[in-house]
Amino acid sequence: MSNKKYWQSFGELNQTDAYKQSAENEFNEDLLPIEELSNEGLLDGKTPRRDFLKYLGFSTAAAAIAASCEMPVRKAVPYLQRPDNIIPGVPNYYASTYVNGGDSISVVVKQRDGRPIKIEGNELSALTKGGTSAQAQASVLDLYDTTRLRHPLQKDGNDFKEVTTFEAFDKMVSAAMAGIGSKPVVLLTSTIHSPSTLEIINNFLAKYPGSKHLQYDAISYSGMLMANEACYGKKAIPSYHFENAKTIVSLGADFLGTWLSPVEFSKQYSTNRKITGENPTLSRHFHFESMLSLTGSNADDRYTHKPSETGNIALAILAKLGGAVSAPVIADLAVKAGIEKAATELMKTKGSSLVVCGSNDVNVQVVVNAINEMIGANGTTINWGATSNIRKGNDADFVKLVSEINSVGALLVYDCNPVYSYADGKKLGEAIAKVPVSISFNGTMDETTEQCKYVAPSHHWLESWGDAEPKSGYYSFIQPLINPLFKTRAFQTSLMKWSAADTADYETFVKKYWTSKLGSAENWEKALQDGVVETPATVSTATYSAFTLTAAASKISSAKGSDIEVVLYQKVSMGNGSQANNPWLQELPDPISKVTWDNYAMMSPALAKALIGIDIMNNQRQADSYEVTPEKAMVKVVVNGKNIELPVLILPGLNEATIAVALGYGRASADEKNSLDRVGKSAAGAGKNAYPLVAFDGTSFIYTLNASVEKSTNIYSLAQTQVHGSSESRPVIYETNLPSFIKNPEALLEEPRSERINLLAEGKTDFVTEGTLYPNYEKPGIKWGMSIDLNTCTGCSACVVACTAENNVSVVGKIQVQKAHEMHWLRIDRYFTGDVKNPDVVFQPMLCQHCDNAPCENVCPVAATNHSSEGLNQMTYNRCIGTRYCANNCPFKVRRFNWLDFTGADSFANNQEPLRDKELNEVVFQMNDDLTRMVLNPDVTVRSRGVIEKCSFCVQRLQESKLEAKKQQDPSLVRNVKTACMQSCPTNAISFGNVNDKESEVSKARADKNRNFYVLEQLHVLPNVSYLAKVRNTDRHVGVVEEEKKEAEAHG
Amino acid sequence: MSLLKYESQQREPLVGGNKNYHQVTEDIISPIEMKPSKLWYIGFYISVGLLLFGAYSVYREVTYGIGQWNVNKTIGWGWDITNFVWWVGIGHAGTLISAILLLFRQGWRTGVNRAAEAMTIFAVMCAGQFPIWHMGRVWMAFFVLPYPNSRGPLWVNFNSPLLWDVFAISTYFTVSLLFWYSGLLPDLATVRDRAKTKLRKLLYGVASFGWTGSTKHWQRHESLSLVLAGLSTPLVLSVHTIVSFDFATSIVPGWHTTIFPPYFVAGAIFSGFAMVQTLLIVVRKVMGLEDYITLGHIEAMNKVIVLTGSIVGCAYLTELFIAWYGQNPYEWYAFSQNRANLFSPYGWSYWLMMFCNVVSPQLFWSRKLRRNITVTFFMSIVVNIGMWYERFVIIVTSIYRDFLPSSWSTYYSPSIWEIGFYLGTFGLFFTCFFLFAKYFPVIAVAEIKSILKTTGETYKAKMTEVEKKDADKFYIEEVEHAH
Repeated sequence: MSNKKYWQSFGELNQTDAYKQSAENEFNEDLLPIEELSNEGLLDGKTPRRDFLKYLGFSTAAAAIAASCEMPVRKAVPYLQRPDNIIPGVPNYYASTYVNGGDSISVVVKQRDGRPIKIEGNELSALTKGGTSAQAQASVLDLYDTTRLRHPLQKDGNDFKEVTTFEAFDKMVSAAMAGIGSKPVVLLTSTIHSPSTLEIINNFLAKYPGSKHLQYDAISYSGMLMANEACYGKKAIPSYHFENAKTIVSLGADFLGTWLSPVEFSKQYSTNRKITGENPTLSRHFHFESMLSLTGSNADDRYTHKPSETGNIALAILAKLGGAVSAPVIADLAVKAGIEKAATELMKTKGSSLVVCGSNDVNVQVVVNAINEMIGANGTTINWGATSNIRKGNDADFVKLVSEINSVGALLVYDCNPVYSYADGKKLGEAIAKVPVSISFNGTMDETTEQCKYVAPSHHWLESWGDAEPKSGYYSFIQPLINPLFKTRAFQTSLMKWSAADTADYETFVKKYWTSKLGSAENWEKALQDGVVETPATVSTATYSAFTLTAAASKISSAKGSDIEVVLYQKVSMGNGSQANNPWLQELPDPISKVTWDNYAMMSPALAKALIGIDIMNNQRQADSYEVTPEKAMVKVVVNGKNIELPVLILPGLNEATIAVALGYGRASADEKNSLDRVGKSAAGAGKNAYPLVAFDGTSFIYTLNASVEKSTNIYSLAQTQVHGSSESRPVIYETNLPSFIKNPEALLEEPRSERINLLAEGKTDFVTEGTLYPNYEKPGIKWGMSIDLNTCTGCSACVVACTAENNVSVVGKIQVQKAHEMHWLRIDRYFTGDVKNPDVVFQPMLCQHCDNAPCENVCPVAATNHSSEGLNQMTYNRCIGTRYCANNCPFKVRRFNWLDFTGADSFANNQEPLRDKELNEVVFQMNDDLTRMVLNPDVTVRSRGVIEKCSFCVQRLQESKLEAKKQQDPSLVRNVKTACMQSCPTNAISFGNVNDKESEVSKARADKNRNFYVLEQLHVLPNVSYLAKVRNTDRHVGVVEEEKKEAEAHG
Repeated sequence: MSLLKYESQQREPLVGGNKNYHQVTEDIISPIEMKPSKLWYIGFYISVGLLLFGAYSVYREVTYGIGQWNVNKTIGWGWDITNFVWWVGIGHAGTLISAILLLFRQGWRTGVNRAAEAMTIFAVMCAGQFPIWHMGRVWMAFFVLPYPNSRGPLWVNFNSPLLWDVFAISTYFTVSLLFWYSGLLPDLATVRDRAKTKLRKLLYGVASFGWTGSTKHWQRHESLSLVLAGLSTPLVLSVHTIVSFDFATSIVPGWHTTIFPPYFVAGAIFSGFAMVQTLLIVVRKVMGLEDYITLGHIEAMNKVIVLTGSIVGCAYLTELFIAWYGQNPYEWYAFSQNRANLFSPYGWSYWLMMFCNVVSPQLFWSRKLRRNITVTFFMSIVVNIGMWYERFVIIVTSIYRDFLPSSWSTYYSPSIWEIGFYLGTFGLFFTCFFLFAKYFPVIAVAEIKSILKTTGETYKAKMTEVEKKDADKFYIEEVEHAH
């Protein structure tokens, strides 16, 4: 080794101190030089830790603020001179009356800043007692319908041209009328029960001798009117008193859903369906029908039969009761047993029994009248003292008019649409076009109006003055809530002008008419304020004559059915189709089928198996695949040579030979391409028109028909909001029958009770506080809660529309519903239990349960959903970033996400347009129109895209009631608060209030310990919505729990 | 020294081809200096195309809304979160290889760690896209950051597992990135030193942070590597544990399962290794790196795959058993009907997952198959499909039929934009990977050199000679002589 030394620097060579130190320290430095670990340099370092964090914080905050976009500001202009009765932000309420083709409901309308925005029931009405229907709730939206006609029109070739003033229009009409010579004038209207209007019509008819007024009902009750004329000498419909009935037998009458006056009947019916006291009693409801109706779903005992057998069943009941008819052969043993049981019960409660029948066949109704005589219904549950005026149409007269239409000089059409709703409407339309003078007063360019030469659009009822007498002696008044939005004129005013008897307008007429009738202007004011004037008649009888019975019975016996029969029915949402352009109604899921936006051929699993080869009963795989695919096979239903192609909806509970098809769909202009503009964006393309299938038997229209079915290879998608029907034995619903409930009321909820005990550690007793590892918090003050009585809830869905209207719930259109993107905050869950051929149906309104221990709250990363001190589970839309974690974690699946820009409230401009028709139906654009948006409730935020929303318990109403209570210094005033769903309920099934207040409605409801339960209670999410279990008045075993117990016992 | 790092002669050399230091540098660095091949261009353009399609899909979703996808009121999460968990899982192998195997002193990791780490980073980047863009209002995404603000101040919800995700994933990403980059420094300096153009010199000069290779640098580098390895090790376990909390802490039957943390971690390693296999089998072939990524590497990783695959299989059976044993009717329904029932709407996905993840990896008990490139490549794809389905099964089949039967969903299949988003992340991943393969050394040159003397082929041959020697003689030569 050489001793040569290589050096790199002088320092190294000389071994200076500095070099030595540096060499020593070469690897001696701190690896993580954090300055402030030593005391000095804490703040003097080059970048001390604090400064670093400061810079970091500042730059992040600056970036965040810079990133927040500024929203465009839409200015609201305040009043320069405020009208006396308007305080901005404070709503006014006015009593009025919802009228639509004979239907009428007394209502109170909420008006905000001059705009009607919400319909509430009028509690002063003895008929509806504050109840409303889905259609009444939705009708406020019709006011803002963009397809409403905006001025008078005159036909111009295939199109129409505007007539600038009504004066010019009147001149034109009178000139035209002068030219018709001696040909008769026919005024064709829906059933009119407005006394003042009837007087105006009479004046008008007097001006044109030979003219006549014809009333036409889209859904006819003509058979019943004729039968009553035959039996009682009165061509009228009596009042029914379901509240007096201990036994109710319905032969296909959907009296809780669509038959005659369902809101009134629901109110009456529910009084005997409440469980109260130690030894509760319930009315007993037997239902015989072919399809599965809303009312049938609520029945205690339900039997299905072929549509053609309705008459035979009526006859069999009559024979069993001892009537002078021979009993027909009833092949179905279950139905036979049902008839016997029903007849026995009817007789047992004679004098408080009632039989109603939905058939429009005179003969069947004659037999039903005979039955009602046998059971003493006349004068007890049937009141001839006050007859119902809501249906007066005579089918034979209408058919006669159709046949003679070529001789008519002038046809005036008001509030009816026969070109759509008459079986041979197309031909009728062509004929109307040839009538020398044809005038329509309808508010929209519907199928009939577009055939007329002149159109003088009438007001919407919310813009009108008027009156109604749905039942003799029961008056209800209409007052306008808003100035007419368009250049429209009341139908009555037009008639008055044209009859020249009175040149004033209808408003003056109505005031004069009622001031004189009621005696003074004060009384009239009072009547307007209350909305109703009622002079209840005592329940009285009518003299019965049985002389047509034998003939009717023999006609029924000779009627023949076929292998497959069709029953045409109305949905609770769509009714007869007059409100088909109402998006709220179109998107309201049918409570039975849960389908929106369409009608379909509804059939039993057995029939579906035979027709389309899908066996959902025995083949789990096919059942699953049918359930999870919206694309359904289609069939062609052929009736009398006419056919209609519809998708098949398989539903248990229908008679095995029956196909049920809903009316009210398939609205279309004569020229299809006008449909969007004329019948409207919602109505066009929704379902198929089934009216052409309706038959005429010589006296009345018949809705039950013999049919055959042809196969089709087409596929059609249905937008269903609930696809699974069974509750899978989960603790979601509980029900039992009345005898076992009386025997041992505690047994009904034995299962959840023992479950609670099982879930607790030994020695613990309180599931709420001790069923958890977490501490329990006191919940003093107000704690909002709701209780829903499943026994009185009929599933009518009025609450769903009420909620939609109150809370600005978006309409998403069929395409989005099909993707399960619907937005309803409140839905009606429907479960089937028991026998698959004839199941029991339970409806369960499901909304946010406002859990005390809400699983949605703790998973939100940004705390956008949290709990209020009053027990509300609140959504902060501003804070929500839309991770949808809360929706996943919600066991009730009530959270709704704004998948697209449904409201037009998005900060991205025009992001709906490119999706038109492909992903967003026209209806979404319809709803976002400036006119339609007038319906929005200003108290509720319109949610933008990308946020979650859900039921808020109508927090805006709660706040209002608290403010009122504070102002009045009376805490008990919060008891008056009503959520929108609760207010609309025709059966008062919903109670709401402060659960800490023992006097509140909800506390009282929950006191029913034997029936009060919480859905999915064992999850310990502690819902604030409780349900009262259902009790059916039957001897059958009811409910899945008992079925299982029985099975378990059978297996030992 | 050599004795301490003594490698058994039973083991095959980790670096083949009798390389010396210079050759190693040449083999790995020279591709960076050459024009990319035609194949590279084709691959790169396809990736960029996918990326652009993904970007358009996301654009549509942000502009029009999540309604562009087919998730619904019942199935709030579908492909979005499935893909998120899948990508996060893939992003596990890199850090595992670099960190845990470093701590365990597994020499074979050096051949694959660089590419695996890069893959981790890219996979985590892809994963991160999903929770961000699946938000309904992504422009408000900064709400999840806990910083002092002018909104109250409104704080985040520390109870939410989604928030834990934010922390876990950002931490993991940061540490992985640092680890990867600090490992790159010596190699970047090598590239810089060989650079012939000014621009290259400048860019690699900046990128290499002034690395000179001094002892001091090496010492700091090693310390940093150890610190980061120490930090990463718990992260490898924590990230997927926390991702599993998204499900485990919820109340949804099928999600609410305590087995999830270990099960998710094992699954993540399983899928991560499969992805490393997929990539490296291609890379070694295309870039001619068979000497560095040897059959031994592939076999070692296949062993990890069969191990973790079996762990995952155990976990599947355990949760199935517990679902039955636990007698929770909802959970049992989710397992027995939604999943295990082959004829239920989604039954096929459960059995596909079972086959891909549990049955098929058992092939790797055979050494012959473990060392078969074709089989390994095919298997790595199968495993990744299986692991994607695992996440899909967990997420979708649990919620499509959960507590309330009224809300059971119709059949969910993705929309074109949901698929597009997923393809887009593939685009992002491969675009990054192609760029990485072009501009960075895909194998850690410095680390390969560190094992060249212990496990290189030349050394092994030399050691064979040594081992033939008489033990006493060896002692005298090697030990005493040294003193």
